[in-house]
Amino acid sequence: MDEQGCPRCKTTKYRNPSLKLMVNACGHSLCESCVELLFVKGSGACPECGTPLRKSNFRLQIFEDAVVEKEIDIRKRVLRDFNKKEEDFPGLKEYNDYLETIETIVFNLSNQIDVDATKKMIDQYKKDNKDQIRKSQSKMSRDEEFLDTLIEEEQHNAAVRKMMDQEEVKREKAAKKKIQQSLIDDLMFSDMSAKDIISSHRQNIQQQQEEEQEARAATTAFSTGIKIGQHSDNIHLMKQEQGQVFHYCPLIMEWCGPEPPTMDEIYHDGYLRNIRAATDQERAGGFREATACHRALQDALCGLFSFPNINPSPVKSGGAAASSTASSSSSSHLPMVLS
Amino acid sequence: MVDQTTKCADVPCVYAWLYCIGDLYCTKKMFSTSSQSKHWLFSGETELAKCRTEANATYISKHRGTMTDNEVTSHFLTPVEERILSRQYEVVLRKFCAEFQPPMPKCVIGTSLVFFKRFYVNNSNMNYHPKDIMLTCVYLACKVEEFYVPIGQFVKNLRGDREKFADAILSFELTLMGKLNYHLTIHNPFRPLEGFLIDIKTRCKEIENPERMRKATEEFLERSLQSDACLIFSPSQIALAAVRFGASKEGISLDRYIKEVLLKVASDKEAENMLYQLRRVKFIVKGIENVPREQAQAIQKKLENCRNQANNPDSDVYKKRMLEKLDEEEDIRVKKRSKVSEES
Repeated sequence: MDEQGCPRCKTTKYRNPSLKLMVNACGHSLCESCVELLFVKGSGACPECGTPLRKSNFRLQIFEDAVVEKEIDIRKRVLRDFNKKEEDFPGLKEYNDYLETIETIVFNLSNQIDVDATKKMIDQYKKDNKDQIRKSQSKMSRDEEFLDTLIEEEQHNAAVRKMMDQEEVKREKAAKKKIQQSLIDDLMFSDMSAKDIISSHRQNIQQQQEEEQEARAATTAFSTGIKIGQHSDNIHLMKQEQGQVFHYCPLIMEWCGPEPPTMDEIYHDGYLRNIRAATDQERAGGFREATACHRALQDALCGLFSFPNINPSPVKSGGAAASSTASSSSSSHLPMVLS
Repeated sequence: MVDQTTKCADVPCVYAWLYCIGDLYCTKKMFSTSSQSKHWLFSGETELAKCRTEANATYISKHRGTMTDNEVTSHFLTPVEERILSRQYEVVLRKFCAEFQPPMPKCVIGTSLVFFKRFYVNNSNMNYHPKDIMLTCVYLACKVEEFYVPIGQFVKNLRGDREKFADAILSFELTLMGKLNYHLTIHNPFRPLEGFLIDIKTRCKEIENPERMRKATEEFLERSLQSDACLIFSPSQIALAAVRFGASKEGISLDRYIKEVLLKVASDKEAENMLYQLRRVKFIVKGIENVPREQAQAIQKKLENCRNQANNPDSDVYKKRMLEKLDEEEDIRVKKRSKVSEES
């Protein structure tokens, strides 16, 4: 694609990113600075085609193709005169013919075909329909009317909503004040203890809030228009085979030893003081010192009472064994099973 | 379990599955429900010796051919010789682990030793050479304990033909796992030891600076690795025995801790048995003798003649067998391919 640029000074959009191209009735573009330079006096000729132009008629080029700009310009001008509406015609066919002539005029003017004849035709039409044109100009079209009513309605709605919001806020404030006032009154004059009063008030407030929420939850349809709570009516899912409902039975731990401290005990009994604090990296991975501590303790205590097929009662008198726990020399009279 | 979940795709079932996973996870972490406590705790050294002798006898009866009893004793290893040899290799294993680069955590050493010991409870040294099994145990333990070292890096710790070592390790890995019945989770006494120290510090405040017991305690644990304690006692019992040993070395009495904290809710019978177990641990660990090295070397020479050549990576029999296996696999693959192409 060609670089967009001014045909006179050859500046391009690439070399000057802030380049602004202007266009006038003839459809030839010029950059802003060239327009300033050439039309210092307010009017002059187009450097490309020599058409006399006015500086005030230059406007920013929106479309890349200057011909489109020209056509838009011409169409605007033509439509100012050819402003009949559909209801001015006896039938659709006549209206379409009329639109067709407008298109022909626009096409001729923008492509320089039979310019003179076309211009003459326009003049003729103007003369013939002078009254009609003026009348139509003053009369607003039906579409415009419709748009105006829409906007009005919207503005009205917004105002009403705003008022309602304000009222709601006011009401809430008043209610809060009332509750506070009653709490203070109760505290001043009631015989109940302050704690009871506060808790009962709190309960009341909570109840009210819940009620309000219930009242609010009255929406019955999704934004798509599907009714809430009627999902199975229009959408038939595949029938699913129903398995047995799962019942979770909490796990029974076979410690096979003294029960290790629970997580809560680890936190409260100061176990954590005796373990290395978790580093930032470990914490980021979801590991706390309590987890490690819990595992170490569980591993330590679990399996202490594991006696796989222990051989015949080891010590002759149980009481004596329990009392001689510390004596490290007791291994001397161990049974022969061991060797 | 998987079948059930796929059959009924209800939402509750997904939760059920999650719950099961959670429970499995919890129970798996616990020693009391582990495969170690169910399948790999023996009543004592007598039972272990019986198992080992049986493995020895089975091997001999398979390979003796027409030998007389006298020839058998001079040609094959006796159970006692086997025991010396595997203990010698345990020493080698620990040395290998200690010098391993990157340095490995203790639990890897513990786990690999347990693998090694378990393997030779039911297998003869003559059937599988401890040299190969030892390396495979360490390699497998690295994986199990989440200290994964790629095989290339692993064999860099060895001197000699590294490629051959790598091949041997990888080829024995599956055999090893199979012989261990795929019971690969090992509960080592190291974590329980930390647990006891934390517990003593928290619940037995009258002991000043319990950390000073650590040195003797860890030495005891180290020594226990040489014994069969891990095949007889639960890791927590070994750890408690070690702590008790460490405490007595420092002149600390753990009587109150054991009696009033650990055995508070235990029945008399349980208390009695536990104390008995503690004493047994101490007895066994203290009774450890060093391995006679010269004797071990002689046994190793003897082994070269009587080992099972089918499991010797250097032998022709082994190589031939491996090749046949490869061909077989190839055959199966070819058959499958032709079947698939027929069907399509």
